[in-house]
Amino acid sequence: MTLCKSQGNGGTLRALATQQIQSIPQACPLISALPFLTLLLLFPPHLQAQWTLAACAAVSKDYVVGAKLPPSGLFLKTNEEWHHVGFNHPFIVAVDYDPTDPTTLYLAAGNGLFRAANKAANWTQLTGSDVTELRDLAIDQTDPKTIYFAHSQGLRVTHDRGATWTELATNLHRHYVEAIRIDRTQPKRLIIGGEEGLLRSEDSGKSWTLAGASGWAILRIEQSPHDACYWLATTQGAGLFASHDCGKTFENSGRIGVNRDLYSISFDPTNPKRIAIAGWGPGVAISEDGGQTWQERNHGLPRPDVWSVIFDPGHPGRLYASVQEESLYVSDDAGVTWKPAGLDGSVARSMRFIP
Amino acid sequence: MKLILLIVIASSVQAATFQERADSMIDAYAHYTGKGDYGYAEIAARLERHEQPKWCSKKLEDLLAAGPTGDMFWMYPVTAIAYLDQGQLSPDARQALRSAWKTYMPYRGDTENHFLMYYTCLYLMSQYWPDAGPESWYNGKSSQANMEEARQWIEGWVKLTTTRGQGEYDSPHYMGVYLMPMSYLAAWAKNPAMKKRAEMMLEYLIADYAPENLDGLFVGAHARIYEEQLLERWNGVSSDFGWLWFGLGHPLKVPANYVLFYLVASAFEPPEILKNIATDRSHPYTHYERKRTRNRWRFYDDPHGPVYKTTYVRQEYAVGSDQGGALQAIQEHSWDVTWHVPDARGVQNTFFFVHPLSSMKELQTFFVFPPDGAIEGIIKSKKTYDSPDKLLGGSDYEKIVQDQDTLITLYNIPPGTRFPNINGFFSKDLSELTEDPSGWIFMRAGDSTYIASRPLQPYVWKPYGESKRLFSPYLQNGVVVQVAAASEFPNLDAFGKAIKALPLDFEVSPTPKVKFRSLRGTLIEFTFGETPVLNHRPLDYQHWPLFGGPFLHADLDSESLTMTYRNMKRTLDFKTLTIR
Repeated sequence: MTLCKSQGNGGTLRALATQQIQSIPQACPLISALPFLTLLLLFPPHLQAQWTLAACAAVSKDYVVGAKLPPSGLFLKTNEEWHHVGFNHPFIVAVDYDPTDPTTLYLAAGNGLFRAANKAANWTQLTGSDVTELRDLAIDQTDPKTIYFAHSQGLRVTHDRGATWTELATNLHRHYVEAIRIDRTQPKRLIIGGEEGLLRSEDSGKSWTLAGASGWAILRIEQSPHDACYWLATTQGAGLFASHDCGKTFENSGRIGVNRDLYSISFDPTNPKRIAIAGWGPGVAISEDGGQTWQERNHGLPRPDVWSVIFDPGHPGRLYASVQEESLYVSDDAGVTWKPAGLDGSVARSMRFIP
Repeated sequence: MKLILLIVIASSVQAATFQERADSMIDAYAHYTGKGDYGYAEIAARLERHEQPKWCSKKLEDLLAAGPTGDMFWMYPVTAIAYLDQGQLSPDARQALRSAWKTYMPYRGDTENHFLMYYTCLYLMSQYWPDAGPESWYNGKSSQANMEEARQWIEGWVKLTTTRGQGEYDSPHYMGVYLMPMSYLAAWAKNPAMKKRAEMMLEYLIADYAPENLDGLFVGAHARIYEEQLLERWNGVSSDFGWLWFGLGHPLKVPANYVLFYLVASAFEPPEILKNIATDRSHPYTHYERKRTRNRWRFYDDPHGPVYKTTYVRQEYAVGSDQGGALQAIQEHSWDVTWHVPDARGVQNTFFFVHPLSSMKELQTFFVFPPDGAIEGIIKSKKTYDSPDKLLGGSDYEKIVQDQDTLITLYNIPPGTRFPNINGFFSKDLSELTEDPSGWIFMRAGDSTYIASRPLQPYVWKPYGESKRLFSPYLQNGVVVQVAAASEFPNLDAFGKAIKALPLDFEVSPTPKVKFRSLRGTLIEFTFGETPVLNHRPLDYQHWPLFGGPFLHADLDSESLTMTYRNMKRTLDFKTLTIR
């Protein structure tokens, strides 16, 4: 059932139920004009209940090497309670899901790429000894057999759900890749970030072009769910970079995060103008004007050192943030106030809402 | 209780043969009667001795019920226990062990030794349960798939080691976790090629240690060492192995469990030629090795840079070094002088300098850490990493050249570097330390060694426990070190006069450089960042052997090692898996 065609990506509102939050379609005029009403249409109570927050977290506060590791790895929040699911593996850094079967998750981890099927009850390691220390992953939402992951020595892709893999970074000058995103409107377009900036491929990783932030280490990349041509990337030390030309070029976007490290980006799926970024130093910073200006919103957070941030697609204005070895925090007013939300003592490298 | 243990250990020190030494080390665990127990290690020792099987079963069940922890450091003891069982364990204990390999997912780790332990254990446990399907394993792969993956990695590691050297080389502590997996495979692998390869690698690894020991102490540059052994050279795992294999020195008060697990598997005894290489110090020699850096994930085009090692050994002392640089993370030790003492226990018989590098770039080179929180995380276990007075670690701002027992190290520290100073370790066990007006410092090291060192910049002394630290806060700096046997001179004064007569020219600015004619007659010209020149010829890093010297010979990429001692010769050929 198609409710509203987007301008940029051809997605549908129906896709909300099966796609990652960053893939929520471009706002149609109705949404732009009447966001609250639209949200009610978009997220009726029954649909709200379907979103599950997944956090890739290690509980490291007060941990001493050699001691038994507190539960760490994948946590799912259902009915306001956190559940540690699957194995204790503190090096899970990213989670994504199969859009055709959201009970099947994929995890980028220190030991490799895992498929965690049946709501993460059954894990299968999909990679071998030749890759280690995964950094990020992305699933092609138009073809979920295609999965990319960034790792300590490159970038790999499978087109058969992990049965076979191809290395894509062999012709890069430096092979370390920290972040990967697929353009949801043109799946052959990839944007990756490593130690030397942002690279773009238009042919599924066969060739690469420098897209910006040259010489800077990239920490995170995200594509706007509202405008497929708008991308943001965070860096180690150089702040935020933005692309308004579909990832062709990225330009530095003001002073936010300069000389600090920004680790996370979240576009508010319910508000095209609202974006959150997070890092050490800035804490949580919010833009209400589509990234033109930023305001740090850390009142109520114990420290401004934040690893990850994510808007809740089921609750407009609700935002989660992982504060270094403190806990997860939640705000119901887009960061104006905060309160603890569990996972005490943790570091959540990334979070994702799963339908 | 403790007295009984001490009696066991004390008697073990007197053990004359390899078998007697091995037995005493296993008994230290199998017959431990002190407070508490040694957990998995005690189970393994008792199973090896076929003693107290009921206790072993109960203990194993209890440990597994409490929940496995330690990743590959959990895998290795339980793998040994599985193979040592041989009908002794109860069905419940066996079932608990089987279940653990489904419910606990060990982290594969981020170092070479982690991977070797992980894949060795995975190989052997897949062999142990050959028909187990994917549902039986933590990683959702069948025994067949796990075994094949492990085989490939192990074979790849052997090939890389015998062509380009180990990445985590010559660690007086971590040598145990390379020996142990090879001992397991030599004992328990059913595949004849895997078994043979492991037997040969045991010889290879022992050969790697044999010419670089002095009285059983592992000397020279190390990829990784812990601070207690950095200063008290005896105080580590290598002392157990030196004593076990060759009867050298003294074992630790309680043997490291690495040596126990080595013994309960193959208990490989080195061949006669290695015993000779390890113990004959009748003639001074220089030994060369080429190794690799740890995996460099970032900032370098080549993930494995070369490490060029030089180790000069004679019965009175040893001088060893690499070329300098941050070749390893956190625990690198680039050079030192180690001198002979009759009993090294409690003695800090070592001398060296460092630049105390604490650098996010270093950490991000070798780890996938994000930039924040990394140093805080590191110092949870490596407590001195971010300390200006530390004595452990390599630095990109240190470069080294060595010719026999002469060593020059230069420092060129960029402005703004955290900790812009160098530290020199001056042991409590040095004597007759004299600061000569010439700038040289002369000292006696033990009864048989003299050391001269010439810091290139002013310094002050600071306490370091019972010893002291030379602190020199200059960005451009360096030290010239010349060592000699006390028997070569009538006394320390005469040694000092001889040193002062040696031509020495140096500059520290703008780039540190030294020109020095050594006690052995070699003209050394060394400028920071440039290839050292010895007797007017640039040092030939291009043709640096994998192993070179009087005892070991291996070319780069050769997949072979030839050992020679007098008229004895032994070649390990990994291409054909033969020993000639």
